[in-house]
Amino acid sequence: MSKRILNHPQETETGPKYWRSLGQVADTPEFKTWVAREFPEGASEINSETSRRSFMKYMAASAALAGLSLSACRREEKNLVPFSRGVEWSVPGKPIFYATSRPHRRGAQPLVVATHDGRPTKVEGNPFHPACNGATDIHSQASLLDMYDPDRSRHFLNDGKVAEEKDFTAAIEALLKGASDGSGIAFLTEHFTSPTFRRLRDELAAKMPEALWAEYEPLGGEEARVANEAAFGKGLRPIPNLEKADAILALDCDFLGFDEGTLEGIRAFSKRRSPEQAMNRLYVVENRYTVTGGMADHRLRVQAGKVANVARQIAEIVGNKIGDETLKSVVAKFPQTPAFAAEQGKWIAEAAEDLILKKGAALVLVGYRQPAAVQALVHAINAALGALGSTVVGRKTSGKPGATIADLAKGISGGNVKTLFILGGNPAFNAPADLKFGKLISSGSVTVIRHGLYEDETTFSTEHDEHGVETARHFVKWHVPAAHYLEAWGDGRASDNSILSQQPMILPLFGGWSEIQLLNFILTGKKSDGLDLVQATFKQLARGIDTESWAKFLHDGFLAGSEAKREPLALNAAPVAELVSTYQAAEGMEVVFAPCAKVDDGRHANNGWMQELPDPITKQTWDNAALISPATAKKLGLEAKQGNGVFVFDNGTWLTVEVNGASLDIPAIIIPGHADDSVTIAVGYGRTFEGRVGGREGNYMSHGGWFAQHTGVGFNAYKLRTMAAHYIASGAKVRKIDRKAYPIAITQEHGALEGRGADVIREATAETHKHEPGFAKDQHWLHQHGAMDAEAEERDKKGYPVPKSSYSHPELTDKNHQWGMAIDLSACTGCSACMIACQSENNIPIVGKEQVIEGREMHWIRMDRYFVSDMNAREDKTVNISEPRMVMQPMPCQHCENAPCETVCPVNATVHSDDGLNVMAYNRCIGTRYCANNCPFKVRRFNFFDFNERAKDKVFRWNLINEKGMADTLKMSKNPNVTVRMRGVMEKCTFCVQRVQEAKIAAKVKAKDTDKVQVPTDSFQSACQQVCPTGAIVFGNLKDPNSAVTKTKDNPRDYRLFDYIGVNARVSYLARVMNPNPKMPDAPKDAIMGHSKGGHA
Amino acid sequence: MPQIFPRSSNFVPLKIAIVLGALATGAFGAFWYYWTPKYTRVGYQPAQPIPFSHKIHAGQLQMSCIYCHSFVETAAHSNIPSAQVCMSCHSQVQKDNPKLAPLREAWETGKPVQWVQVHKAPDYVYFNHSVHINRGVSCVSCHGRVDQMDVVYHAESHAMKFCLDCHRAPESGLRPLDKVTDLGWTAPTKGKQTKQQAQLDLGNELKNQRGVNPPVSNCAGCHR
Repeated sequence: MSKRILNHPQETETGPKYWRSLGQVADTPEFKTWVAREFPEGASEINSETSRRSFMKYMAASAALAGLSLSACRREEKNLVPFSRGVEWSVPGKPIFYATSRPHRRGAQPLVVATHDGRPTKVEGNPFHPACNGATDIHSQASLLDMYDPDRSRHFLNDGKVAEEKDFTAAIEALLKGASDGSGIAFLTEHFTSPTFRRLRDELAAKMPEALWAEYEPLGGEEARVANEAAFGKGLRPIPNLEKADAILALDCDFLGFDEGTLEGIRAFSKRRSPEQAMNRLYVVENRYTVTGGMADHRLRVQAGKVANVARQIAEIVGNKIGDETLKSVVAKFPQTPAFAAEQGKWIAEAAEDLILKKGAALVLVGYRQPAAVQALVHAINAALGALGSTVVGRKTSGKPGATIADLAKGISGGNVKTLFILGGNPAFNAPADLKFGKLISSGSVTVIRHGLYEDETTFSTEHDEHGVETARHFVKWHVPAAHYLEAWGDGRASDNSILSQQPMILPLFGGWSEIQLLNFILTGKKSDGLDLVQATFKQLARGIDTESWAKFLHDGFLAGSEAKREPLALNAAPVAELVSTYQAAEGMEVVFAPCAKVDDGRHANNGWMQELPDPITKQTWDNAALISPATAKKLGLEAKQGNGVFVFDNGTWLTVEVNGASLDIPAIIIPGHADDSVTIAVGYGRTFEGRVGGREGNYMSHGGWFAQHTGVGFNAYKLRTMAAHYIASGAKVRKIDRKAYPIAITQEHGALEGRGADVIREATAETHKHEPGFAKDQHWLHQHGAMDAEAEERDKKGYPVPKSSYSHPELTDKNHQWGMAIDLSACTGCSACMIACQSENNIPIVGKEQVIEGREMHWIRMDRYFVSDMNAREDKTVNISEPRMVMQPMPCQHCENAPCETVCPVNATVHSDDGLNVMAYNRCIGTRYCANNCPFKVRRFNFFDFNERAKDKVFRWNLINEKGMADTLKMSKNPNVTVRMRGVMEKCTFCVQRVQEAKIAAKVKAKDTDKVQVPTDSFQSACQQVCPTGAIVFGNLKDPNSAVTKTKDNPRDYRLFDYIGVNARVSYLARVMNPNPKMPDAPKDAIMGHSKGGHA
Repeated sequence: MPQIFPRSSNFVPLKIAIVLGALATGAFGAFWYYWTPKYTRVGYQPAQPIPFSHKIHAGQLQMSCIYCHSFVETAAHSNIPSAQVCMSCHSQVQKDNPKLAPLREAWETGKPVQWVQVHKAPDYVYFNHSVHINRGVSCVSCHGRVDQMDVVYHAESHAMKFCLDCHRAPESGLRPLDKVTDLGWTAPTKGKQTKQQAQLDLGNELKNQRGVNPPVSNCAGCHR
């Protein structure tokens, strides 16, 4: 048989170019390495201090020891230990699902948690709750690992010494004796939505009227509260009604991200994103790429401080064109802003025109990080656009605002606060730097009782000598270990204000107390288990309680009918006009403190899943960085390389960022789509506590130790943040410093597909889709790309040659089940929740920063992020690296029916199943990695080391010199239905085969004597499908004509990757359809976006 | 002419022979150990903390297996009964028998009885009891005549071949669903039919009726 020659579609000279990194644009040698190899050169070498010679020594020694310990080959006697008394509902080996909720500052998340034999193992969304529809966000998924974190606080600490619970209770009683009216006492809490917490707080405030109640959230919405209050009066907040919106303008508002967005909103937006219905249109104005910006039909990059100027211009145009006197008067009060350059001005004008055209169905969103004046102005624009009551609805807010952390700081330094209870949060780390909060609480003038999950920066502060060696530690008076939400009774309010239940899945692993237990103890002097407290609240809220309604509340996870009703909104023009007049323009270089999509405000910093997840945009792991645009990099004098007519820059160059009187040394990432003269730094990194994943000595880091550089965990941006410049700080000074480049673990080039972006991503405009719904079909697409030459066409007619394995593989004989998946690229935002759900479900290990740099990360789904630039848009035919579009593509194993990996496996470890899965038999795998080399999608992952059994900084070391083993609590977190893989084994997406098998077995058990063994339609989901907030992933049975996946695959937008090489992938994609406005200056020039020849109606 | 080989080389053949002999013995030992029923645990019969007799309970008293192993129909794992289940009879019957002291202790203290595991599937095998029981595979197929055992022992090999033999020819084990826990049951013979032939005839009939299609070459059926 002659060798097959495959005609891959050529990359076109014109039309859009899809690229992953600046390195790809310039075609640097480093990028070429990533393309050519499954793993980079040397990935299979051991680059450690352990040389080959010493390796041989160790091996010889271990062989000798093995001889000595042959007696261990005897069969071990193992015991079976049943319960003494049966436990209700408990069936050994069967999961039990409980409804609960995760507290969150912007509304608790309704959840269903799977527990195996009393251990919570997987978090899912509550499918019955309308606010989430069964979806979850990244942080809920990852919170499971937080609970099992072996670094969690395990003891009560008195002045840093381990103490008993009874010592603590006695001490608190003594402390409170002399302060019955609460004078001298202060409380600092996070923003808790829990009704029970608020009830206890109110009772306590009534009992101690003099006590100070402060609330602090590093990523809170104080500015939004001020603006809402001015615009709509007290107690009301506007909620976007995205399902109604035909045109949306998002001003620095990441409403599809997990910090600012809600699952409710994300789902509503994506419902209007499918071109089979009337599509919405999204305009985004922002300083850095967010997932929202990636979904935009049109995106304008401006400094975050200049978003106000855009808002003002929009307001001006809308006010004048509509003739809305209120808006006109408000705009007149807003200080004048400089005009934009011609093209930007046209962008703004056309966007405003489109909003006016869609009056009544138009919506302007503004981020909570913008100044209150800008937010108030946007409320006025919405009022003029007729949005109030249609695309913006009102909801009552619950709870009254407490004092701020600045009030508290004043109280402490003024000597009014003698006793401070800190409930949750980590203010010493994340409070505004100008308050010097860490110093205040360790100054000795105040007795601090700190309740937290970790012994962290707030529990103790450290002193260092000039070499960064720790010399002293100052502990707070009392540290109380907190119970994780999965261990405690509680309740919460969802984003729609409905009351959610929160029940413990497991007893507190480390004897922690929940917030409500602590508050109740302060109030009553008794320790409650929390249940009676929640029930008492429920009694008030549900107006009566009986066993049935309480049981239903726990079972459903929420109280039906308790969600906030929609309230009418009316704009109060006068306070808005007053508020907007206070706007102060920002000038010069700015620093933007952005929420991190992974560690949030730093609370998930010790979570390995979060640290290793590539950032949805930058694809950086284990660190944060200063994000700057290519033009800014040039201006700062970063070293440029030229290739293909563009200048590109290496990431990792050190910068010093000076702002607000503080400075921070931080490496840079040059990211396309970022505004010029703007630096974005994610907060939450650079923790200094003793977490083995996320905490390191900051001083050590700046001294550039090898270890610190290679384990990462980032740089603390909170150092630069002040009360006044909380989110955007202008007037920054940034300069390059001469230091050896910092190694950055960035995965954007990993698994690069030979520059075939224009083939794997297929896009069109809504207009094209209307005329030509099948635009993405293979034949058509390849023709358009000139890749279907005569020879290829001939072969196409004859059929593709099928690769053959030397082993016999089952034909696809299962008549009842054939599994498949479809992923809608129009809906996918790239939020990466699927990666974490997959990691949690499938026991995927983390590998550490150094291993990520080597390309050994283990995620089964790769979230490919492509930048797209239109080559026709520029005269010189160079790639526009400053203003590309962005496309996301989740890439799991494609489960090819003719799988190239199977033909090359020498031991038949990867084979097909009769129901169409490409499966891995781990026990057969001998680790040749031939399969990974032959995989055209580069989706196979290899366990280079015992990632599960060894600490991330010690994976290199060998058995004799390094302890093996996993922390007991981490063992408990594993899914018992999935093998924990060891070193030397290949793995990859299995289509959640454990769920497939469970479903098939359940169907057979039910079938008994009959042959009705087909799994009921869509009765289970894959983990990635279940988590997806937009519903982009559909998995199911292709043999079932009613299944969602069969129907989705019938969509004419459906296409498979690399069909021309005959792999017959079981995963298919629905082509992405955009809805650009042809009048906009940045509208795509071609009707089909991936179209080089034009040529259709 | 000096000798080419030193004197010590006289012993080289002997040394080689000794080393080869040791290697051969080792290899033989390994084969003997790993590929005989000894390795597959057949005959393993550990002493239990309570000398519980299946022969009395399942054989003489005709108690159904499912009375004690109550989740075998619903779960992957066939549970060992809790002390509570034993005590539902033994709080009345034999309530002062000294052999049951560990049981009474477990019931009173809540500290479970430490039974010794006899049958063990490796960690990489996901065996599911419920699907076998509900589709008409009897306990006896894998566990032997437990109703005749005073002390339970490992009766069958449980190597992968053992599983596959049956998965490739499910007719050899399929029974009517009400005979699954009847360990002594055999397919009724017609005329001069052998017992084996009777089972195959019935098994084939049941296989077609139930659409039985156990994973044979689908590795993921058992290994995930």
